[in-house]
Amino acid sequence: MSDDKNSKKNVIQFALMLSVVCSLLITGAASGLKKLQQENIKLDKKVNILKAANLIDGNNKPAKDVILRLYQEHIKEGMVNQKGQAVKTETDTNILHLYYYHTNNVIDGYILPINTKGLWGKIQGYLAFENDGQTVSGFSVFSHSETPGLGGEIENAWFRKNFKGKKILNSQNKFVSVGIAKGKVKNLPKNLQEHYVDGISGATLTGKYLSEGIKATLTKYEPLSILFRQKDLKTLDN
Amino acid sequence: MTNETTRYKDILFKGIWRENPVAYQVLGICSALAVTVKMSTAIVMGLALTLVTACSSMIISSMRNKIPSNIRIIAELAVIASMVIVTDEILKAFYYDISKQLSIFVGLIITNCIVLGRAEAFALANNPLDSFIDGISNGLGYSLVLISVAFIRELLGAGECLGYQIIPSFIYNAGYQNMGLMLLAPGAFFIIGLLVWFKNSITESKN
Repeated sequence: MSDDKNSKKNVIQFALMLSVVCSLLITGAASGLKKLQQENIKLDKKVNILKAANLIDGNNKPAKDVILRLYQEHIKEGMVNQKGQAVKTETDTNILHLYYYHTNNVIDGYILPINTKGLWGKIQGYLAFENDGQTVSGFSVFSHSETPGLGGEIENAWFRKNFKGKKILNSQNKFVSVGIAKGKVKNLPKNLQEHYVDGISGATLTGKYLSEGIKATLTKYEPLSILFRQKDLKTLDN
Repeated sequence: MTNETTRYKDILFKGIWRENPVAYQVLGICSALAVTVKMSTAIVMGLALTLVTACSSMIISSMRNKIPSNIRIIAELAVIASMVIVTDEILKAFYYDISKQLSIFVGLIITNCIVLGRAEAFALANNPLDSFIDGISNGLGYSLVLISVAFIRELLGAGECLGYQIIPSFIYNAGYQNMGLMLLAPGAFFIIGLLVWFKNSITESKN
Protein backbone atom coordinates (compact mmCIF):
# COMPACT_ATOMS: atom_id res chain seq x y z
CA MET A 1 0.00 0.00 0.00
CA SER A 2 3.00 2.30 0.19
CA ASP A 3 2.49 2.98 -3.51
CA ASP A 4 -0.95 4.29 -2.77
CA LYS A 5 0.00 7.96 -2.66
CA ASN A 6 1.76 7.55 -6.01
CA SER A 7 -1.27 6.16 -7.81
CA LYS A 8 -2.38 8.18 -10.82
CA LYS A 9 -5.58 9.20 -9.14
CA ASN A 10 -3.79 10.50 -6.06
CA VAL A 11 -1.18 12.36 -8.05
CA ILE A 12 -3.81 14.21 -10.05
CA GLN A 13 -5.90 14.83 -6.97
CA PHE A 14 -2.95 16.20 -5.03
CA ALA A 15 -1.77 18.39 -7.91
CA LEU A 16 -5.26 19.83 -8.39
CA MET A 17 -5.73 20.49 -4.69
CA LEU A 18 -2.35 22.16 -4.33
CA SER A 19 -2.89 24.35 -7.40
CA VAL A 20 -6.30 25.47 -6.21
CA VAL A 21 -5.09 26.25 -2.70
CA CYS A 22 -1.99 28.10 -3.92
CA SER A 23 -3.85 30.12 -6.54
CA LEU A 24 -6.58 31.07 -4.08
CA LEU A 25 -3.93 32.19 -1.62
CA ILE A 26 -2.12 34.32 -4.19
CA THR A 27 -5.24 35.84 -5.72
CA GLY A 28 -6.56 36.55 -2.27
CA ALA A 29 -3.38 38.32 -1.23
CA ALA A 30 -3.04 40.22 -4.51
CA SER A 31 -6.61 41.49 -4.79
CA GLY A 32 -7.12 41.99 -1.08
CA LEU A 33 -4.05 44.17 -0.73
CA LYS A 34 -4.33 45.95 -4.07
CA LYS A 35 -5.94 49.08 -2.67
CA LEU A 36 -3.26 49.55 -0.04
CA GLN A 37 -0.51 48.97 -2.58
CA GLN A 38 -1.91 51.49 -5.04
CA GLU A 39 -2.16 54.07 -2.30
CA ASN A 40 1.49 53.47 -1.46
CA ILE A 41 2.49 53.91 -5.09
CA LYS A 42 0.52 57.15 -5.39
CA LEU A 43 2.11 58.51 -2.24
CA ASP A 44 5.56 57.48 -3.43
CA LYS A 45 4.99 59.36 -6.70
CA LYS A 46 4.17 62.49 -4.74
CA VAL A 47 7.25 62.03 -2.57
CA ASN A 48 9.43 61.88 -5.66
CA ILE A 49 7.82 64.92 -7.26
CA LEU A 50 8.53 66.79 -4.02
CA LYS A 51 12.08 65.47 -3.98
CA ALA A 52 12.70 66.74 -7.51
CA ALA A 53 11.47 70.15 -6.42
CA ASN A 54 13.80 70.01 -3.38
CA LEU A 55 10.85 70.24 -1.02
CA ILE A 56 12.03 66.99 0.57
CA ASP A 57 15.73 66.56 1.27
CA GLY A 58 17.95 63.60 0.57
CA ASN A 59 16.65 60.09 1.12
CA ASN A 60 14.16 61.14 3.79
CA LYS A 61 10.53 60.22 3.72
CA PRO A 62 8.38 62.35 6.00
CA ALA A 63 5.07 61.28 7.50
CA LYS A 64 2.11 60.87 5.19
CA ASP A 65 0.23 64.00 6.28
CA VAL A 66 3.35 66.14 5.81
CA ILE A 67 3.76 64.80 2.30
CA LEU A 68 0.15 65.45 1.38
CA ARG A 69 0.26 68.97 2.83
CA LEU A 70 3.46 69.88 0.99
CA TYR A 71 2.04 68.48 -2.23
CA GLN A 72 -1.21 70.35 -1.84
CA GLU A 73 0.50 73.64 -1.03
CA HIS A 74 3.30 73.61 -3.57
CA ILE A 75 2.55 71.33 -6.50
CA LYS A 76 0.08 71.87 -9.30
CA GLU A 77 -0.45 69.45 -12.13
CA GLY A 78 -0.65 70.94 -15.60
CA MET A 79 -0.80 70.15 -19.29
CA VAL A 80 0.73 71.99 -22.22
CA ASN A 81 0.37 71.59 -25.97
CA GLN A 82 3.30 71.21 -28.33
CA LYS A 83 3.91 74.94 -28.44
CA GLY A 84 4.31 74.96 -24.69
CA GLN A 85 1.04 76.76 -24.05
CA ALA A 86 -1.02 75.63 -21.09
CA VAL A 87 -4.21 73.82 -21.95
CA LYS A 88 -7.09 72.82 -19.74
CA THR A 89 -8.31 69.67 -21.33
CA GLU A 90 -6.66 66.82 -23.15
CA THR A 91 -7.53 67.85 -26.72
CA ASP A 92 -5.25 65.50 -28.61
CA THR A 93 -2.62 62.86 -28.01
CA ASN A 94 0.29 65.28 -28.20
CA ILE A 95 -0.53 66.92 -24.90
CA LEU A 96 2.39 66.92 -22.48
CA HIS A 97 1.92 66.50 -18.75
CA LEU A 98 3.98 68.32 -16.17
CA TYR A 99 3.92 69.74 -12.66
CA TYR A 100 4.49 73.29 -11.50
CA TYR A 101 5.93 74.00 -8.10
CA HIS A 102 4.93 77.29 -6.61
CA THR A 103 4.83 79.39 -3.47
CA ASN A 104 1.49 81.16 -3.09
CA ASN A 105 0.77 80.76 -6.82
CA VAL A 106 4.08 82.32 -7.92
CA ILE A 107 5.77 79.71 -10.05
CA ASP A 108 9.19 78.69 -8.73
CA GLY A 109 9.75 76.20 -11.51
CA TYR A 110 8.41 73.18 -13.31
CA ILE A 111 8.85 69.44 -13.06
CA LEU A 112 8.95 67.14 -16.07
CA PRO A 113 8.20 63.44 -15.87
CA ILE A 114 11.07 61.37 -17.27
CA ASN A 115 10.03 58.07 -18.73
CA THR A 116 12.79 56.14 -20.43
CA LYS A 117 14.27 52.75 -20.88
CA GLY A 118 17.13 51.71 -18.66
CA LEU A 119 19.47 48.77 -18.84
CA TRP A 120 16.99 46.21 -17.48
CA GLY A 121 13.66 47.98 -17.64
CA LYS A 122 11.83 51.27 -17.53
CA ILE A 123 13.19 54.18 -15.52
CA GLN A 124 10.55 56.63 -14.34
CA GLY A 125 11.51 59.81 -12.61
CA TYR A 126 11.18 63.56 -12.43
CA LEU A 127 13.48 66.38 -13.48
CA ALA A 128 12.77 69.82 -12.05
CA PHE A 129 13.81 73.20 -13.45
CA GLU A 130 13.98 76.66 -11.99
CA ASN A 131 11.74 79.27 -13.54
CA ASP A 132 14.56 80.54 -15.77
CA GLY A 133 13.89 77.56 -18.02
CA GLN A 134 17.47 76.34 -18.12
CA THR A 135 18.79 75.54 -14.64
CA VAL A 136 18.08 72.10 -13.25
CA SER A 137 16.87 72.29 -9.67
CA GLY A 138 16.48 68.62 -8.89
CA PHE A 139 16.06 65.07 -10.03
CA SER A 140 14.35 62.02 -8.57
CA VAL A 141 13.61 58.46 -9.57
CA PHE A 142 10.23 56.94 -8.92
CA SER A 143 10.70 53.46 -10.27
CA HIS A 144 13.45 51.50 -12.00
CA SER A 145 14.75 47.97 -12.37
CA GLU A 146 18.48 48.68 -12.52
CA THR A 147 21.01 46.52 -10.68
CA PRO A 148 20.89 47.39 -6.99
CA GLY A 149 24.15 48.91 -5.79
CA LEU A 150 25.20 49.78 -9.34
CA GLY A 151 22.63 51.34 -11.69
CA GLY A 152 20.15 51.30 -8.83
CA GLU A 153 22.13 54.08 -7.20
CA ILE A 154 20.34 56.56 -9.49
CA GLU A 155 17.59 56.76 -6.87
CA ASN A 156 20.00 57.70 -4.10
CA ALA A 157 20.55 61.22 -2.81
CA TRP A 158 24.30 61.36 -3.56
CA PHE A 159 23.66 60.81 -7.27
CA ARG A 160 20.54 62.95 -7.52
CA LYS A 161 21.96 66.00 -5.76
CA ASN A 162 24.59 66.46 -8.48
CA PHE A 163 21.89 67.54 -10.90
CA LYS A 164 21.17 70.70 -8.96
CA GLY A 165 22.48 73.79 -10.74
CA LYS A 166 23.32 72.09 -14.03
CA LYS A 167 22.37 73.96 -17.21
CA ILE A 168 20.64 72.66 -20.31
CA LEU A 169 21.89 75.59 -22.40
CA ASN A 170 25.50 76.14 -23.41
CA SER A 171 27.27 79.50 -23.43
CA GLN A 172 25.79 80.29 -26.88
CA ASN A 173 22.31 79.67 -25.44
CA LYS A 174 21.88 76.54 -27.51
CA PHE A 175 20.03 73.52 -26.10
CA VAL A 176 22.45 70.74 -25.10
CA SER A 177 20.52 68.86 -22.36
CA VAL A 178 22.14 67.37 -19.24
CA GLY A 179 23.73 63.97 -19.16
CA ILE A 180 25.49 61.46 -16.99
CA ALA A 181 29.25 61.45 -17.46
CA LYS A 182 31.31 58.31 -17.82
CA GLY A 183 33.36 58.68 -14.67
CA LYS A 184 33.78 61.92 -12.78
CA VAL A 185 32.72 65.32 -14.08
CA LYS A 186 36.00 66.92 -12.99
CA ASN A 187 37.81 64.88 -15.66
CA LEU A 188 35.71 66.43 -18.43
CA PRO A 189 36.67 69.53 -20.44
CA LYS A 190 35.72 72.75 -18.62
CA ASN A 191 33.00 73.81 -21.07
CA LEU A 192 31.13 70.51 -20.63
CA GLN A 193 31.24 70.35 -16.86
CA GLU A 194 28.03 72.23 -16.27
CA HIS A 195 26.05 69.86 -18.49
CA TYR A 196 27.11 66.61 -16.85
CA VAL A 197 26.77 64.87 -13.49
CA ASP A 198 29.12 62.26 -12.00
CA GLY A 199 28.56 58.80 -13.40
CA ILE A 200 28.29 55.59 -11.40
CA SER A 201 31.18 53.16 -11.77
CA GLY A 202 29.92 49.81 -12.98
CA ALA A 203 26.75 51.38 -14.38
CA THR A 204 27.88 53.06 -17.58
CA LEU A 205 24.95 51.74 -19.59
CA THR A 206 22.33 52.89 -17.10
CA GLY A 207 23.87 56.35 -17.35
CA LYS A 208 23.85 56.22 -21.13
CA TYR A 209 20.18 55.26 -21.37
CA LEU A 210 19.18 57.81 -18.75
CA SER A 211 21.09 60.58 -20.56
CA GLU A 212 19.36 59.67 -23.82
CA GLY A 213 15.97 59.57 -22.14
CA ILE A 214 16.47 62.94 -20.47
CA LYS A 215 17.56 64.48 -23.74
CA ALA A 216 14.53 63.09 -25.61
CA THR A 217 12.15 64.36 -22.93
CA LEU A 218 13.75 67.80 -22.76
CA THR A 219 13.58 68.12 -26.55
CA LYS A 220 9.85 67.49 -26.40
CA TYR A 221 9.34 70.07 -23.67
CA GLU A 222 11.75 72.60 -25.17
CA PRO A 223 8.95 74.97 -26.36
CA LEU A 224 7.77 75.25 -22.76
CA SER A 225 11.29 75.87 -21.50
CA ILE A 226 11.64 78.65 -24.09
CA LEU A 227 8.54 80.33 -22.71
CA PHE A 228 10.06 80.15 -19.25
CA ARG A 229 13.30 81.68 -20.54
CA GLN A 230 11.32 84.56 -22.03
CA LYS A 231 9.78 85.11 -18.60
CA ASP A 232 6.30 84.64 -19.99
CA LEU A 233 5.28 82.35 -17.19
CA LYS A 234 5.23 83.75 -13.69
CA THR A 235 2.04 82.93 -11.90
CA LEU A 236 -0.49 80.16 -12.00
CA ASP A 237 -3.52 81.46 -13.84
CA ASN A 238 -6.07 80.06 -11.43
CA MET B 1 13.89 16.91 27.13
CA THR B 2 17.63 17.59 27.20
CA ASN B 3 17.94 15.19 24.34
CA GLU B 4 15.52 17.32 22.32
CA THR B 5 17.40 20.51 23.06
CA THR B 6 20.74 19.08 22.03
CA ARG B 7 19.14 17.89 18.81
CA TYR B 8 17.84 21.35 18.01
CA LYS B 9 21.20 22.84 18.89
CA ASP B 10 22.85 20.34 16.62
CA ILE B 11 20.51 21.23 13.72
CA LEU B 12 21.20 24.92 14.30
CA PHE B 13 24.96 24.49 14.49
CA LYS B 14 24.98 22.33 11.38
CA GLY B 15 23.16 24.89 9.26
CA ILE B 16 24.96 27.96 10.50
CA TRP B 17 28.51 26.64 10.57
CA ARG B 18 29.41 23.02 9.96
CA GLU B 19 27.30 22.46 6.86
CA ASN B 20 26.87 26.09 5.97
CA PRO B 21 24.69 26.30 2.83
CA VAL B 22 27.04 28.58 0.93
CA ALA B 23 30.43 27.45 2.19
CA TYR B 24 29.79 23.72 2.51
CA GLN B 25 26.79 22.82 0.37
CA VAL B 26 27.71 25.49 -2.22
CA LEU B 27 24.07 26.51 -2.64
CA GLY B 28 22.71 29.99 -3.23
CA ILE B 29 25.89 31.29 -4.83
CA CYS B 30 24.09 33.26 -7.55
CA SER B 31 22.16 35.45 -5.15
CA ALA B 32 25.24 35.75 -2.96
CA LEU B 33 26.94 37.41 -5.91
CA ALA B 34 24.04 39.70 -6.68
CA VAL B 35 23.00 41.15 -3.35
CA THR B 36 26.32 41.61 -1.59
CA VAL B 37 27.33 44.98 -3.01
CA LYS B 38 25.82 46.68 0.03
CA MET B 39 25.37 45.46 3.60
CA SER B 40 21.80 46.73 3.91
CA THR B 41 20.44 44.65 1.04
CA ALA B 42 22.41 41.61 2.21
CA ILE B 43 20.86 41.82 5.68
CA VAL B 44 17.30 42.16 4.44
CA MET B 45 17.79 39.42 1.87
CA GLY B 46 19.18 37.14 4.58
CA LEU B 47 16.18 37.80 6.82
CA ALA B 48 13.66 37.28 4.03
CA LEU B 49 15.31 34.04 2.94
CA THR B 50 15.45 32.74 6.52
CA LEU B 51 11.73 33.32 6.93
CA VAL B 52 10.77 31.76 3.61
CA THR B 53 13.02 28.72 4.11
CA ALA B 54 11.70 28.11 7.60
CA CYS B 55 8.02 28.45 6.67
CA SER B 56 8.18 26.54 3.42
CA SER B 57 10.19 23.72 5.02
CA MET B 58 7.59 23.48 7.75
CA ILE B 59 4.66 23.39 5.32
CA ILE B 60 6.33 20.85 3.05
CA SER B 61 7.32 18.71 6.00
CA SER B 62 3.76 18.66 7.28
CA MET B 63 2.60 17.40 3.89
CA ARG B 64 5.49 14.97 3.45
CA ASN B 65 3.33 11.87 3.79
CA LYS B 66 0.84 13.17 1.24
CA ILE B 67 3.12 14.47 -1.49
CA PRO B 68 3.37 11.89 -4.32
CA SER B 69 7.09 11.34 -4.86
CA ASN B 70 6.99 11.71 -8.65
CA ILE B 71 5.67 15.27 -8.54
CA ARG B 72 7.35 16.30 -5.31
CA ILE B 73 9.68 18.90 -6.83
CA ILE B 74 6.80 20.68 -8.54
CA ALA B 75 4.77 20.52 -5.36
CA GLU B 76 7.66 21.95 -3.33
CA LEU B 77 8.18 24.73 -5.84
CA ALA B 78 4.48 25.58 -5.84
CA VAL B 79 4.54 25.97 -2.07
CA ILE B 80 7.75 28.03 -2.11
CA ALA B 81 6.62 30.26 -4.98
CA SER B 82 3.25 30.97 -3.38
CA MET B 83 4.93 31.82 -0.09
CA VAL B 84 7.31 34.22 -1.78
CA ILE B 85 4.58 35.94 -3.78
CA VAL B 86 2.38 36.37 -0.72
CA THR B 87 5.35 37.78 1.22
CA ASP B 88 6.02 40.19 -1.62
CA GLU B 89 2.41 41.36 -1.74
CA ILE B 90 2.35 41.90 2.01
CA LEU B 91 5.60 43.86 1.89
CA LYS B 92 4.23 46.04 -0.91
CA ALA B 93 1.09 46.79 1.04
CA PHE B 94 2.51 47.42 4.50
CA TYR B 95 6.25 48.02 4.13
CA TYR B 96 6.39 49.74 0.78
CA ASP B 97 9.80 51.33 1.31
CA ILE B 98 11.49 48.08 2.27
CA SER B 99 9.89 46.30 -0.65
CA LYS B 100 11.12 48.99 -2.99
CA GLN B 101 14.62 48.60 -1.64
CA LEU B 102 14.53 44.84 -2.12
CA SER B 103 13.06 45.22 -5.61
CA ILE B 104 13.75 42.04 -7.54
CA PHE B 105 15.42 40.18 -4.69
CA VAL B 106 12.17 39.02 -3.13
CA GLY B 107 11.24 37.29 -6.36
CA LEU B 108 14.73 35.85 -6.55
CA ILE B 109 14.16 33.90 -3.34
CA ILE B 110 12.07 31.45 -5.39
CA THR B 111 15.09 30.55 -7.46
CA ASN B 112 17.38 30.26 -4.47
CA CYS B 113 18.61 26.69 -4.34
CA ILE B 114 18.81 26.71 -0.55
CA VAL B 115 15.04 26.77 -0.15
CA LEU B 116 14.45 23.87 -2.50
CA GLY B 117 17.62 22.12 -1.32
CA ARG B 118 16.50 22.09 2.31
CA ALA B 119 12.99 21.02 1.34
CA GLU B 120 14.42 18.08 -0.59
CA ALA B 121 17.19 17.11 1.77
CA PHE B 122 15.62 17.72 5.15
CA ALA B 123 11.92 18.59 5.19
CA LEU B 124 10.83 15.45 3.30
CA ALA B 125 12.41 13.20 5.94
CA ASN B 126 11.83 15.07 9.20
CA ASN B 127 8.98 16.43 11.29
CA PRO B 128 7.66 19.99 10.86
CA LEU B 129 9.31 21.49 13.95
CA ASP B 130 12.74 20.10 13.10
CA SER B 131 12.29 21.32 9.53
CA PHE B 132 11.37 24.78 10.75
CA ILE B 133 14.52 24.96 12.86
CA ASP B 134 16.58 23.58 9.99
CA GLY B 135 15.18 26.32 7.75
CA ILE B 136 16.07 28.99 10.31
CA SER B 137 19.59 27.66 10.78
CA ASN B 138 20.31 27.41 7.07
CA GLY B 139 18.87 30.87 6.52
CA LEU B 140 21.12 32.24 9.25
CA GLY B 141 24.12 30.42 7.81
CA TYR B 142 23.38 31.98 4.45
CA SER B 143 22.94 35.42 6.03
CA LEU B 144 26.25 35.04 7.86
CA VAL B 145 28.15 34.47 4.62
CA LEU B 146 26.19 37.16 2.77
CA ILE B 147 26.83 39.78 5.43
CA SER B 148 30.54 38.96 5.66
CA VAL B 149 30.94 39.17 1.89
CA ALA B 150 28.90 42.39 1.74
CA PHE B 151 30.97 43.91 4.55
CA ILE B 152 34.22 43.30 2.70
CA ARG B 153 32.81 44.41 -0.65
CA GLU B 154 31.23 47.59 0.68
CA LEU B 155 34.33 48.48 2.68
CA LEU B 156 36.83 47.95 -0.14
CA GLY B 157 34.54 48.94 -3.00
CA ALA B 158 32.95 52.08 -1.61
CA GLY B 159 34.80 52.78 1.62
CA GLU B 160 31.52 52.50 3.50
CA CYS B 161 29.79 50.33 6.05
CA LEU B 162 25.97 50.25 6.05
CA GLY B 163 26.07 53.41 3.96
CA TYR B 164 28.29 55.38 6.37
CA GLN B 165 31.68 56.53 5.18
CA ILE B 166 34.32 54.54 7.09
CA ILE B 167 37.54 55.31 5.29
CA PRO B 168 38.41 58.93 6.15
CA SER B 169 38.96 61.45 3.40
CA PHE B 170 42.64 62.11 4.23
CA ILE B 171 43.45 58.59 3.11
CA TYR B 172 41.78 59.35 -0.22
CA ASN B 173 43.76 62.56 -0.42
CA ALA B 174 46.92 60.53 0.11
CA GLY B 175 46.13 58.62 -3.08
CA TYR B 176 43.95 55.74 -1.89
CA GLN B 177 41.26 54.67 -4.32
CA ASN B 178 38.18 52.50 -3.94
CA MET B 179 38.56 49.10 -5.54
CA GLY B 180 36.11 49.09 -8.43
CA LEU B 181 36.44 45.33 -8.89
CA MET B 182 34.72 44.78 -5.55
CA LEU B 183 31.50 46.32 -6.84
CA LEU B 184 31.32 43.86 -9.72
CA ALA B 185 30.36 40.20 -9.58
CA PRO B 186 33.94 38.86 -9.97
CA GLY B 187 34.89 40.61 -6.73
CA ALA B 188 32.24 38.58 -4.93
CA PHE B 189 33.55 35.38 -6.51
CA PHE B 190 37.03 35.98 -5.12
CA ILE B 191 35.74 36.80 -1.66
CA ILE B 192 33.38 33.84 -1.49
CA GLY B 193 36.20 31.59 -2.61
CA LEU B 194 38.53 32.95 0.06
CA LEU B 195 35.82 32.65 2.72
CA VAL B 196 35.10 29.02 1.80
CA TRP B 197 38.82 28.26 1.98
CA PHE B 198 39.11 30.03 5.33
CA LYS B 199 36.07 28.25 6.79
CA ASN B 200 37.11 24.82 5.58
CA SER B 201 40.66 25.18 6.83
CA ILE B 202 39.34 26.03 10.32
CA THR B 203 36.92 23.09 10.32
CA GLU B 204 39.57 20.74 9.05
CA SER B 205 42.23 21.70 11.56
CA LYS B 206 39.64 21.00 14.27
CA ASN B 207 39.11 17.49 13.01
